[in-house]
Amino acid sequence: MGLISLAAAKTLASSAAFLFITVLLMAAAKRTATCIALFSAQCAIITAQILATAYLHRSGEGYLVAVLVFAVKVVGIPYALLRVVRGLKTAGEVDTSTTPAQSVYITAALIPLAFVVVKPYVRALAVDGQLLAAAVALVLSGAFLMVSRKKALMQVIGLVVLENGIFVAAITTTSGMPLVIEIGIFFDLLIGVLLMGVFVFRIRDTFEHVDVSKLRRLRG
Amino acid sequence: MAHILFNSLLVTLLALPAVVFAAGPWPALRRLPSALLIAGLLAGATAAAISLCHPSPVASDLSSFTPFPFVLSLDRLSAYFLLLICAVSAPVVLYSAAYVERHYAGRRRIWLWALLPLFLLSMVVVVTASTAFAFLFGWELMTLFSAGLILIDGDDTQRRQKLFIYLLMMHAGAAAVVASFFLFLPHAATLDFASMRLAAGLMPAGLRTAVFLLAFVGFGTKAGIVPLHVWLPKAHPIAPSPVSALMSGVMLKTAVYGFVRFGFDFLGTGPAWWGYLALAAGALSGVLGVLYAIAEHDLKRLLAYHSVENIGIIYLGLGTALVFTAHHAPGWAALALMGALLHSLNHALFKSLLFLGAGAMADATQTLDIEEMGGLFNRMRTTGTLFLIGCCSIAGLPLFNGFVSEWLTFRSFLGGATLSAATAAVVLPVMAGVLALIGGLAAACFAKVYGVAFLGRPRSVEAGDAEEVPLAMRAGMALLAAACVIIGLAPGIVLRPLSAVVQELLPGASLPDGALSIVRVVPWLAVAVIAVSILIVWVRRAPRITPTWACGLPGLNSRMQYTSAAFSKPLRKVFAQVYRPDRTVLVEPADQPYFPASISYREVRTVHFEQALYRPAVNGIVAVANRLRKLQTGNIQVYLLYMFLALVLLLLFMRLA
Amino acid sequence: MTYALNVLQLMLLLAAAPLVRGVVACLKARIQNRRGASVWRPYAELRKLFAKEDLVPPTASPVFRFSPVVLFAATVAAAAFIPVLNGSALLGATGDFIMLAYLLALGRFFLILGAMDGGSSFGGMGASREALVSTLAEAPLLLGLTAVAITARTATIAGIVRWTLAQQVFHLSAVHALALAALALVAIAETGRVPVDNPATHLELTMIHEAMVLEYSGPSLALIEWAGAIKLSAMMALLIALFVPWGIPVSLSAVGLGIALTTFVLKMAALAVSLAVLESSVAKLRMYLVPDFLGMACVLSILAVIFTALMR
Repeated sequence: MGLISLAAAKTLASSAAFLFITVLLMAAAKRTATCIALFSAQCAIITAQILATAYLHRSGEGYLVAVLVFAVKVVGIPYALLRVVRGLKTAGEVDTSTTPAQSVYITAALIPLAFVVVKPYVRALAVDGQLLAAAVALVLSGAFLMVSRKKALMQVIGLVVLENGIFVAAITTTSGMPLVIEIGIFFDLLIGVLLMGVFVFRIRDTFEHVDVSKLRRLRG
Repeated sequence: MAHILFNSLLVTLLALPAVVFAAGPWPALRRLPSALLIAGLLAGATAAAISLCHPSPVASDLSSFTPFPFVLSLDRLSAYFLLLICAVSAPVVLYSAAYVERHYAGRRRIWLWALLPLFLLSMVVVVTASTAFAFLFGWELMTLFSAGLILIDGDDTQRRQKLFIYLLMMHAGAAAVVASFFLFLPHAATLDFASMRLAAGLMPAGLRTAVFLLAFVGFGTKAGIVPLHVWLPKAHPIAPSPVSALMSGVMLKTAVYGFVRFGFDFLGTGPAWWGYLALAAGALSGVLGVLYAIAEHDLKRLLAYHSVENIGIIYLGLGTALVFTAHHAPGWAALALMGALLHSLNHALFKSLLFLGAGAMADATQTLDIEEMGGLFNRMRTTGTLFLIGCCSIAGLPLFNGFVSEWLTFRSFLGGATLSAATAAVVLPVMAGVLALIGGLAAACFAKVYGVAFLGRPRSVEAGDAEEVPLAMRAGMALLAAACVIIGLAPGIVLRPLSAVVQELLPGASLPDGALSIVRVVPWLAVAVIAVSILIVWVRRAPRITPTWACGLPGLNSRMQYTSAAFSKPLRKVFAQVYRPDRTVLVEPADQPYFPASISYREVRTVHFEQALYRPAVNGIVAVANRLRKLQTGNIQVYLLYMFLALVLLLLFMRLA
Repeated sequence: MTYALNVLQLMLLLAAAPLVRGVVACLKARIQNRRGASVWRPYAELRKLFAKEDLVPPTASPVFRFSPVVLFAATVAAAAFIPVLNGSALLGATGDFIMLAYLLALGRFFLILGAMDGGSSFGGMGASREALVSTLAEAPLLLGLTAVAITARTATIAGIVRWTLAQQVFHLSAVHALALAALALVAIAETGRVPVDNPATHLELTMIHEAMVLEYSGPSLALIEWAGAIKLSAMMALLIALFVPWGIPVSLSAVGLGIALTTFVLKMAALAVSLAVLESSVAKLRMYLVPDFLGMACVLSILAVIFTALMR
């Protein structure tokens, strides 16, 4: 059992690093499918985090949350998004306003920013500074993805990455969330993704593309 | 003993012009100036070496001849730089003995041999001065004598323009240096270094900052840090090759000496932002210098830009040392300072070697454009080998001296992580990446230079007929190359005296553990590499000389080789934001649509700093001057009015004061 | 005793280097649904080349024949820095990573010069591309190693190995994760594997390393090929030594040595498998996308360095 608790502690300690790496890789990705796979990997890391927290705090609810996160976010949402990608046929490439290199540099600059921003709160809340900074970095990079990508589907992905960040922040500050709130957030997200998926097809059928920059023509 | 040798150096340098003028027209005595000069420089080098072990406070007091105190002394720092000057100048003078014979005759030769010792004398005075007057005297004379030496090569309009910019910027820098000295006046009336040292401790922080900034700008102009470097690529290429070598190798180091004096000796400790300023200047100069050098194919301009880059590396070391002294870590500061000072010596050695080699190549091929050279190694074996040693040294490759100083600087960056201040702990290790980038770019640039100029096939008729240069020129280069290799293989020779120098500047500093591990490792490394190489060379069979595959192409000619522009194209494309060239393609159409009569391509590299920084400044000054011109009306009554107003104001001032 | 062991581990690296290349090539072939050549093929190739004679173009200078020698000697010296079987190496006890990186640069400098000396277009092309890639790879290499050295509080490679051994198993901080990612990308660029350069290509326009050695033949080519193989296994051994050195014995004993050798072979095999999988799953990058690739490595390594300060 000592080994498992050691592994749990090390997972918690190192998950922030892997989250940063997925953030950077997502900024550099050129295909939507790659982004979705990275998102799935991110959620897998978060699942591992929840399992570790649940083990260390001996909370049964935590295991349930972990299973739920795995089912919905590692399997469910990526599968749904991949189906949309396959259905749309034009959404295979990530259309960006910045080159991949520039996206990486900007995202890389956001990470130290996140560290600097959370510094005063780390001492006050007595939490792991790395994880909190990872959470803020996820939020910022999710927002950046939404800003810099032109395809509607990528904006959905940016939104779910942002939600990931809030989720990690919640786990870090409360060391495990009450189950009810978690289920509520899940349903929100599920409905949001389903609606977005439906809307994306509707947009495509009406306008024959999903490039949001062209939506600008809808002005008075 | 050191006194005598030093004074004999001074006497030689001072008397040599007279000797040259007296012995001028007689051909039997034509070797005399160089022989005397070399003897004097050797005496000076010996004096410096002795003083490194036993510093002498007063070496020469000439105050009786001058209106202000004029004292020369040899403390360890001065001795080190004197050794640098003498040890580097002696081979250069040996080289000049043959070079001057070939290129100059009659009056120009006499003037060159007259001005050269005076130029060296001014540099000696600068680094050994221990009063402000002596320092400034030598400082101004350096500029004047080097300008004179440049003029010996000719004075057409273009050269005059470049010389004018050189003189202008040097004087602007000198003004800043003078101001920084004079700020000590209220506290140190005699302006000799000892009292300035004491006075700096009593000055308020604002005044110290002003002194530092003025010294930074003044010495930085002379050293050639970006953005004050614009004179370097103009002035160094138009000088004769030995003079370029001295200007680039030795004169820039006097600026480093001045900055070290002010930053470490007089001002002692200061806030950390001084160090960050020097680090920023060093990083910018290093990267931009080497990037501009990569785009060049005129050999001397390229080497001039590389001087900017190496001064950047030196300033990286100096900035690191300043940050460490600000954070009270004198051991690490000592290591960084050692790296910077050793790089000064190393740069003096290999840059002089490269400039002398450039002169030899220009002699052999009548051009300085490497695009017209090629295959020179087969025609000029000795020069080729010596130039290769210079290229390896400047690229910072192991077994040569450039690596030792860069290694010391890298190790000092690592020490930044031991500081508790977060800014220093982040910035200093990141500078290791900057230095690595600079080193990589420099290696790429010199691989290009050597590969295009010495290897492959000749690209012009002159290159194919190149002939080896005379013995004296080769001997001068060989001495410098030998020094590069010796310092590279046995760095302990220089590092032990250098640590004594640094101990004097930073009292109480003890180097961190294992800081000089390179002294123990490099010999073993050399043994490993050399042993393996010898084994392979000894064991293998003779080759067969025959045309090789070359992708099955039949008659290969020199036009099919990569040119310098082609080699540097990928790097120039990646760093396009730095170059921002202005490209125009003019197509002259003919009757048929796809067969134009001619196509011309023109690429002009914009010179950013001149356009963005200097031109607006110059325009502003000229605009203000134009407005002030209105004061000069030519009307005598207006002038009388000026005098009347002055009188009234003076009376009011006296009443109110 | 330690000295003999260090010589032995250097010999091991030198002798096993072609085998590593052969294994990677064989695995790639299997993944791509081919039979592939035997894993011992590189040895046969070296033997063939050493038996042939050196062909030198008439316009070449002595630098042409001298370059492969320096490249080989520098790469061997670099391999002498890396601990494999025990906690130190021939030059690794006092030698640090800066010397290692610059020794590789020494070899590369002379290889570029040798390529330019061939006098053909392809030599210059390979040389200029190699100059681009190696220039951009220097910074992330040194920064990544700096980050690891700072956390280990020592610059010697043997010292870093000893420090990592003293930590707990599964010790992976953000610094190490980022540094590993950066150094892995740099290792791909330095050793010239897909996606930076394809070592098995036959099209001159896609070559970087192969174009530089197009004019070489016989023993010179054998030295260059061997040096390339040594570089690959040295970089792999370096990554293993810096990040997963467990298995290296703290004290010398026959059992300890056996364990060290076995774990080393296993780790190298794992790396070879991942390299083969990577090479078979991504396409070679267009040359002007390689700066983006190395820029990513640079970003990762700068973050690693920043984290060393942020995580204290």
